Amino acid sequence: MSDTENPFEIAYARERQARLKAEQLLEDKSRELYLKNQKLEESYNRLQQQQAVAMQNEKLATLGTLSAGVAHEINNPLAFVLSNLESLPIYKQALLRLLELNQKYLKDPGVPENYRNEIADLIEKEDLDFIGEDMHGLIDDTIEGIQRVKEIVLNLRSFARTQNCDRVEADLCAGINSTLKLLTSELKTGVTLKLDLQPLPGIVCNPNQLNQVFLNLIMNAKQAVEGRENPTITIKACCDDDAVRIQIADNGCGMPPEVQKEIFVPFYTTKPIGQGTGMGLAIAYGIIKDHGGKISVKSAVDQGTVFVISLPLWGRAEGAETGVAEAVSD
Amino acid sequence: MKGIIFNVLEDLVIKQCGIQGWNEVLSENPEATGIYTASESYPDEELFGLVGSVARKLEMPVAGVVETFGIFLFHQLAERYPMFVEQPENLREFLLSIESVIHIEVRKLYDSPNLPNFTYDESSQDQLVMHYQSPRKLCILAEGLVRGAAEYYNTPITIEHPVCMHQGANHCDLIIRFGNV
Ligand code: HEM
Ligand SMILES: Nc1ncnc2c1ncn2[C@@H]1O[C@H](COP(=O)(O)OP(=O)(O)OP(=O)(O)O)[C@@H](O)[C@H]1O
Ligand SMILES: [Mg+2]
Repeated sequence: MSDTENPFEIAYARERQARLKAEQLLEDKSRELYLKNQKLEESYNRLQQQQAVAMQNEKLATLGTLSAGVAHEINNPLAFVLSNLESLPIYKQALLRLLELNQKYLKDPGVPENYRNEIADLIEKEDLDFIGEDMHGLIDDTIEGIQRVKEIVLNLRSFARTQNCDRVEADLCAGINSTLKLLTSELKTGVTLKLDLQPLPGIVCNPNQLNQVFLNLIMNAKQAVEGRENPTITIKACCDDDAVRIQIADNGCGMPPEVQKEIFVPFYTTKPIGQGTGMGLAIAYGIIKDHGGKISVKSAVDQGTVFVISLPLWGRAEGAETGVAEAVSD
Repeated sequence: MKGIIFNVLEDLVIKQCGIQGWNEVLSENPEATGIYTASESYPDEELFGLVGSVARKLEMPVAGVVETFGIFLFHQLAERYPMFVEQPENLREFLLSIESVIHIEVRKLYDSPNLPNFTYDESSQDQLVMHYQSPRKLCILAEGLVRGAAEYYNTPITIEHPVCMHQGANHCDLIIRFGNV
């Protein structure tokens, strides 16, 4: 073009160059900032996650201590209520025999009339005939009820034993069974429970924590099959050369891949407010990781979900720090 | 749309019609300030208004201007961000890197840019199908950018555009055939 000699256009071109340089500088800084920010966000998320798990663990530990304490307190009075109750049928028998004897004398003309009338009045006034009959049922029901309370307290205690970091050799099938007992009332509502628990070698673990994992997974399965046709939860346990495998499967609602990706994240929940805190699987993940194991999930929408936990056979206490849990979802 | 796009349009108009020409385009669009910083966002309508004026000035259809602009835009972008064109070995690789590298890097530089979405059908060796999706429907600009890239990599291409958002589809198919066909 002819007017490139125009001094303003030359100046414009120079200014344009200067602006490009300035923008270049800005972009370099922006990129740096972006990367730094990304790193920061990552560590912030990690921190938040760790904090959430720690908080929940603390809460659970407190809850464990609390429920163990309550169970212990209930256990003492329960013991003498139960032993007293066991004497009652014998006492009842004695009193009933007295009543029967009186009935017999009522019909005996040899007994003075005023004496017979007095006894007949008392029997009628206090409805002793009815009491005599009703007492059987009352006492039996009471004993049965108290037996149930005793069992609940027992389960609570075995579930919430508080030696939190103590590793002991334990049978996981026993743990699964005691967890299931705790859930009896939850699972009563028409859920079919299929168990295939093969005998497992004892593994060194924290049984309370593993029970917590089973509880969380079974609760999730139960919630997933709610309102579905033929609701079934299948629990399998087996063992191969190097690991124990526990599988908890349901034929419930299943999860799409985008949900599967998030389930181990603390506070991730698809349940309405108040129904889920979204900590169940995060905790399960943390516990399995502590045990050097793996937890994985397979799920298909509308078909069901399978969680598989595998724990190394030589669950060693010293391996706890180095053990890696892999959350696998596919 | 980011200021950088406006800056490049300004460069193109100044190159073709001189500074006076650009001033005229601006005065035809009172809402356009003409003050554009690369990383700032400005209304899309403002850009479309400017492009309309340019088309009238050059007596060209808008689509033609947009495509020419796309070609020019590519060369400017390539000059500003040489690393994006130096990395890929050939045109095909470059086109594949738009979604997986370039526009991702753009997000680091620019605060919430409005970028299109590309998916690819790579099943054939001598062609590449790019599925373009964007609420801004700037498929013609994409065509221009691809043509610019083809010039840069010295690779003759033909582009077919059988499925188009402007014809009511929910995306555009750009079928790019490589080599002299
Ligand atoms: C050096 C390479 C490239 C860079 C640095 C780059 C960068 C950008 C930037 C900064 C924007 C504006 C975003 C906004 O306004 O918010 C943009 C938009 C766009 N880019 Fe790229 N781009 C490059 C190559 C390409 C190529 C080769 C294509 C060809 C298909 C393409 C297609 C598009 C389209 C169509 C838009 C308009 C926005 C839309 O359609 O929604 N880009 N790009
Ligand atoms: N068996 C399952 N079937 C389908 N979805 C499941 C299953 N288990 C978990 N999920 C999904 O994973 C999400 C996270 O589960 P998680 O147990 O961590 O939290 P939650 O059950 O929502 O709440 P809570 O803290 O009460 O356990 C659930 O909200 C649900 O969407
Ligand atoms: Mg849960």
